[in-house]
Amino acid sequence: MNRKPSVFDGLLGDNTVLSSLMVISPVIVCGNTLRSALALMYAFSAITMLSVLISSFVPRKIPYAVRIIVYAVISSLVYIPVRLAAQNFYPDSIEQIGIYFPLLAVNSLIVFQTEAKFFRMKRIRMIGSLVFYILGFDAVMLVTAFLRELLAYGTINSKMTGITVLTGGLAQPFGGFIFLGLMCGVYRWIRSAFVQTRSEADVSDK
Amino acid sequence: MLKKVKRERFVWLDTMLTLLTLELMAYFYYGPRALALAAVCVAFSLAAEIVSFRLMHREFTADDLTCTSDALIIALALPSVMDYRIAAIACVFAVVAAKNVFGGRINMIFSPAAAAYTFMYTSWGRELLQFTEPHVRLGVFDKADDLVSSASYTFNVSRNMDHTDFELLMGNFSGPCGAVSILLLAVAAVILILRRDISAGAFIGTVSGTAALAYLAPAANFRSDSVKYSLVTNMVLFAAVYIVSDKRIAPKRNYYAFFYGLFIAMCSYIIVLTTARENAIMLVSVLFTPVALGFKNLEKRIETAEKEAAELAAQAEAAAEVSAENAAPVTAEEVSADE
Amino acid sequence: MYLINELIALLAVNLILMQALGTSTLFIAADNRRNLVGTALVITFFTTAGSAAAYGINSALPEKYSDLTLLFYTLTVGILYLLLLTLMYFISGEKFRDIRKYIHVSAFNCAVMGTLFTVSGNAAENAELNTFCSFVWAGAKAGIGFIIAALILTAAYRKLNSAKVPASFRGFPAMLVYLGIISMAVYSLK
Repeated sequence: MNRKPSVFDGLLGDNTVLSSLMVISPVIVCGNTLRSALALMYAFSAITMLSVLISSFVPRKIPYAVRIIVYAVISSLVYIPVRLAAQNFYPDSIEQIGIYFPLLAVNSLIVFQTEAKFFRMKRIRMIGSLVFYILGFDAVMLVTAFLRELLAYGTINSKMTGITVLTGGLAQPFGGFIFLGLMCGVYRWIRSAFVQTRSEADVSDK
Repeated sequence: MLKKVKRERFVWLDTMLTLLTLELMAYFYYGPRALALAAVCVAFSLAAEIVSFRLMHREFTADDLTCTSDALIIALALPSVMDYRIAAIACVFAVVAAKNVFGGRINMIFSPAAAAYTFMYTSWGRELLQFTEPHVRLGVFDKADDLVSSASYTFNVSRNMDHTDFELLMGNFSGPCGAVSILLLAVAAVILILRRDISAGAFIGTVSGTAALAYLAPAANFRSDSVKYSLVTNMVLFAAVYIVSDKRIAPKRNYYAFFYGLFIAMCSYIIVLTTARENAIMLVSVLFTPVALGFKNLEKRIETAEKEAAELAAQAEAAAEVSAENAAPVTAEEVSADE
Repeated sequence: MYLINELIALLAVNLILMQALGTSTLFIAADNRRNLVGTALVITFFTTAGSAAAYGINSALPEKYSDLTLLFYTLTVGILYLLLLTLMYFISGEKFRDIRKYIHVSAFNCAVMGTLFTVSGNAAENAELNTFCSFVWAGAKAGIGFIIAALILTAAYRKLNSAKVPASFRGFPAMLVYLGIISMAVYSLK
């Protein structure tokens, strides 16, 4: 059953991370403490919002391959002031995030989804949709980081809680993979309770 | 189909019998805490299985009791002093993340026990690899005062073993509560192979691979000692019986299963030899899951090709028969009848 | 022995299993064998050639302008992207339509950009790695790592997408958990 696309899709119906599997590497690797998560959320929101907005003015007459390069270059330029600002707000977290900070600038939401999704909409609707796609990422990042930090380190935003059995592995990338996979499944399970989606079984195992 | 279901139940029963025997031995050496640990593992595995079946809208049947044998394997791979909460988390992980996410026992990818062991190894390595000495019997809620490293650790680091052969056979040395009873494990292996409950190819591959490498690149001063100690330490025999040879995971054909076991054995032996990592075979068996899946894919292709070839041959035979009938010489009787 | 230790070492620095770089591309590529080979080869090209270019950029760019590194890397990958597209257009002609999709998917990808930053970071920490050959070799190794991860996923692809898997977990979620458990085994042996 095809339903009409909504501006809120990026948050719930077609979540950036859980449904489209976009920008998952920062969630898997860096989404293990609230501090790192907040820095990443800031960086992702600022870079993606500004880059997509500026990129929307790039003429469609330019060949596809060149347009993609232009989008990437725009986001690489946006990255510079965002990083400089982040060094003031989140000096410790920037170090921890490492290479995942610049990688946000070439995330698929900017490089590919702009063409496939956002630039097919009218500008006002595009901005609304983009805000919810960004919020979708932020929400997943926040929930993941909160739970992983709590279970792996026994802290909430570096403040101790009373948890005594700590699952250290959850803070590692493999913990991120498993946690995100389970979260993805739970998200789909909840979504299927509200929206009837087409079965994705396309491979027979017989 | 019915035969297959029956077969699965018998495999589970046989495996449970051997595991319960090992559990009894663990009780003998480590006291009631070993039994309590097994009970916690079984209870949490069952609970996790039932809850996840509810969520998947599937019916829980007697066949799904296989989760209890996985729980016992996990319990036997732990030190008897292991925190109950950690054991419970590991069992839930085994049932949910390593099994039911992929569809449960009808679509197994990983050995749940091996995945749970690896999970504990990465999160609670210290708790997992510290043991009490045998005969230090603990009550259900007791805590051990003196914890020691396992005999495997001592052997990996010093290349030396302070135990007599009889002690080794009887499992009278520090280590996971059920994985050190070598004699019982050997008997269990023979029974399970004869009953066709485990993959003979994978078991032979694992044992021969370890023995061959231990002989060629000895880990002790004498080659014979190297072979002997490499087989009894680092949970090699336990993993060979209950993890690597698990028919749900290993390739079907003994030929491929042999190589699967051989690769795991060789890889884990080299890791133990070069890094002294304890019980590497449990970790390597998880890492080699794609190899088992690759072999299974190959087997499926071979089966399909064989079926197609048989069908083609049958068709050709039928066509030959038809053409032979058409080309058969006319008999005198047929000629006279025509006239 | 050497081979097995090297294999473990290669897995331990695998860009997908250890750094989760290029995971979504891998999921798309594992769909069929042809896609997998095409994407893996193109990514290997980008990581290798990109790393060679990164060596040049790192050598030429003064320390105080390090914030511009991403911009230069992006331009480099962009140039490689155009060059490869042009080259394929003239070489393969009719097949260009098939091949270009691999190039589009692989060029601006976390796997490629992540490799360039990882290789540069390692060189900054260890001066011995700050040579042209080390950069190229590290880039090629990253590509090989992608191929290994792709093979690991392909082995289980049918089972992970089977109708036997609960609908909520079928496909991507099961793939994530599967890769997670394999990654856990690699981590435990690291």
